[in-house]
Amino acid sequence: MSTYLVRRFLQMILVLFISAVATYALLNFAPGGPLQGLRQIQQTGRTTITEDDIARIRAYFELDLNLWVRFSRWLLGTPRGPVVIGGKEYFADLVVGCRKPIESEIIDENGKYQNVVVGCKEVVYMKDLVGRRTSNGLVRGDFGMSWRILRDRPVSDLIASRLPKTLQLIGIQTLLSLLIGIPLGIYSAVRQYSTFDYIFTTLAFMGSAMPTFFFGIVMILLFSILPKDAGWFYVPAGLSESVRNYTVPGLGEVIAGSFTDRALHLILPVAVLTIVNVAGWSRFIRASMLEVMRQDYIRTARAKGLGDKVVILKHALRNALIPFVTIVVFTLPGLFSGAIITESIFAWPGMGRLYLLALGDYDYPVAMAIFFIIAVLTVIATLLRDILYTVVDPRIRLS
Amino acid sequence: MTASTQVAKLEAEAITIEERSPFQVVMMRFRRHKLAMVSLGLIIFIFLVTALAPYIARFEFDEVNVGKYFVDWGTVDAETGRVHYMGTDNIGRDYFSRLIYAGRISLTVALLSVLISETLGIIVGAVSGFYGGWLDAVLMRFLEFMLTIPTLPLLLIISAMLLQNEELIPIPEPLLNFLGDFLLLGPRAARNAVLIVIVLAGFGWLSSAQLMRGTVLSLREQTFVEAARSLGASNVWIIMRHMIPNAMAPIIVDASLGLAGYVVAEAALAFLGFGIQDPIPTWGNMLSATQQFMLSRPYLPLVPGLPIFICSLAFNYIGDGLRDALDPRLKL
Repeated sequence: MSTYLVRRFLQMILVLFISAVATYALLNFAPGGPLQGLRQIQQTGRTTITEDDIARIRAYFELDLNLWVRFSRWLLGTPRGPVVIGGKEYFADLVVGCRKPIESEIIDENGKYQNVVVGCKEVVYMKDLVGRRTSNGLVRGDFGMSWRILRDRPVSDLIASRLPKTLQLIGIQTLLSLLIGIPLGIYSAVRQYSTFDYIFTTLAFMGSAMPTFFFGIVMILLFSILPKDAGWFYVPAGLSESVRNYTVPGLGEVIAGSFTDRALHLILPVAVLTIVNVAGWSRFIRASMLEVMRQDYIRTARAKGLGDKVVILKHALRNALIPFVTIVVFTLPGLFSGAIITESIFAWPGMGRLYLLALGDYDYPVAMAIFFIIAVLTVIATLLRDILYTVVDPRIRLS
Repeated sequence: MTASTQVAKLEAEAITIEERSPFQVVMMRFRRHKLAMVSLGLIIFIFLVTALAPYIARFEFDEVNVGKYFVDWGTVDAETGRVHYMGTDNIGRDYFSRLIYAGRISLTVALLSVLISETLGIIVGAVSGFYGGWLDAVLMRFLEFMLTIPTLPLLLIISAMLLQNEELIPIPEPLLNFLGDFLLLGPRAARNAVLIVIVLAGFGWLSSAQLMRGTVLSLREQTFVEAARSLGASNVWIIMRHMIPNAMAPIIVDASLGLAGYVVAEAALAFLGFGIQDPIPTWGNMLSATQQFMLSRPYLPLVPGLPIFICSLAFNYIGDGLRDALDPRLKL
């Protein structure tokens, strides 16, 4: 077991390194990025942006450094200047980037004009890196500074401010889905071919085919907009709490930011996520239960005169839940990344929306941090699943 | 009475059943699944309407009617006499025309994605499962990891990157022109659609490859493969002639369920603003545009939303019916 864990741990580090490289490469290899707007301003010629301005902006985004230097600074927090060994500086004159590239317009074979970097007017040496702002590196838990959303504030602050909202949403949702989904699946499997089972399977099938974004909008329509227009009890939709006080028929005035206000705002997003999740999970439990119920040991248990309750809950359910562990464990990355679509529909200020915002706004440090954490959690979930398997099913041995 | 006449008599008395090809058997079983048949009918109807889009739609999808914003259903255009069957949107574009052009684009993107991802999946899965070895081991670890990462964040990060650098992946001009003609779009707009296909199929093939590999692994041990090999069949022949045809049942079911998935995924990307962009209509970005008018026009989101739901449900039911018809033991 311990050798297994050590080996898995080493594998995990390798996988995480690869995901870090992939995450970084995805957003940084591609041209364009945060300077795209700048180039357009330059081309219109109405505003004057000097070469030095551009050099300064490029330095702000670290775009004047070579890709490997940037990556190393993002991941490890080095190099931050010349290597000092015994009071002597090494690599001080190593070229690590280009402050002012010379661009030239050339015509490619299709007859299109393209800007190509042909040389460098002013290079960046290793010694120039001293004193420049940098993160302490991903490995030390520093994700760097945000570029746009909260400019010059640490990405971790941004994440910390959004994470509780997502944990709240996804936590309640997962709990409810388990509490509703498992009994529903069991009941439906035990009463196979009954009217309940028929209605349940049809609804669950439709539920898992229902796109979340459409479902969310329909829920807002049914429980917020239409009842409000009709003057009935309605549930507020959008944001996690209201900006000003409002009155809900049957409940009286709700004070903005109060517990009632926040609870009311939770109802719709939680309901959407729960219903979609229950549809999938209970279908899984049902199929799993049906398979187990056909096994010989269930017949044996019944033959020796055990009651229905014992057979179903003790013999069948325990075995049916084994494959379900996988599904539940992989909600872990979701706890962090949130429900991007649902958060976006309900303007819920959580991680999912932050991720969307970061991608749309070229705030790459934020997007990379979130994506990397998702990868880390996925790897942890995989390990957790393997270990949990041995706990719930002692026949499986890790080696 | 000689032996031969006896045999002849036997033949005459034997109950003869009409010979059916495997295809006929499957079709017969598929017909029993009523919901799948209804779904098939619906899908054929939607395909026909979207295929005939230029003849049915009275307006161009990007034709702006100045001053006619949010006109009522069935309003007649005074100048040309054309009817706005479903009124117009917030900048005066005919809603009905946009809806069916959107269907054409959404469905084409889904179909192309399925085609590419299943083809890639079949090839990679078959080769990996058949030959095994270290390549198979590495590939499967990679697939496993990719498939456990939450899909949406991954899709979003890739399409965000691709949409910002449209020229990053070189797409042959003739292909863009052909697709543009088919989708009734310009080459630049067609590029947007192709990028989304690349993003979707780029992930879709992972699960198809895993599925195909599993099937090939179990087929490899079958006696008929051994028989083929002992008759001197080459590996390529065995894969092409024995593995792939025998693994078609799960692949067909997977493709049908995949169509549902891609319609929803494309719409989700467009809904979140990282898919096909306005003015090119898709059901997803039309739905997203209705969100800001929900307070004044609460029923508007149902118009582009229902087709997504119907397509998703229908492809799922068809997949369900196909599974029952092809091999009910399949777990997909």
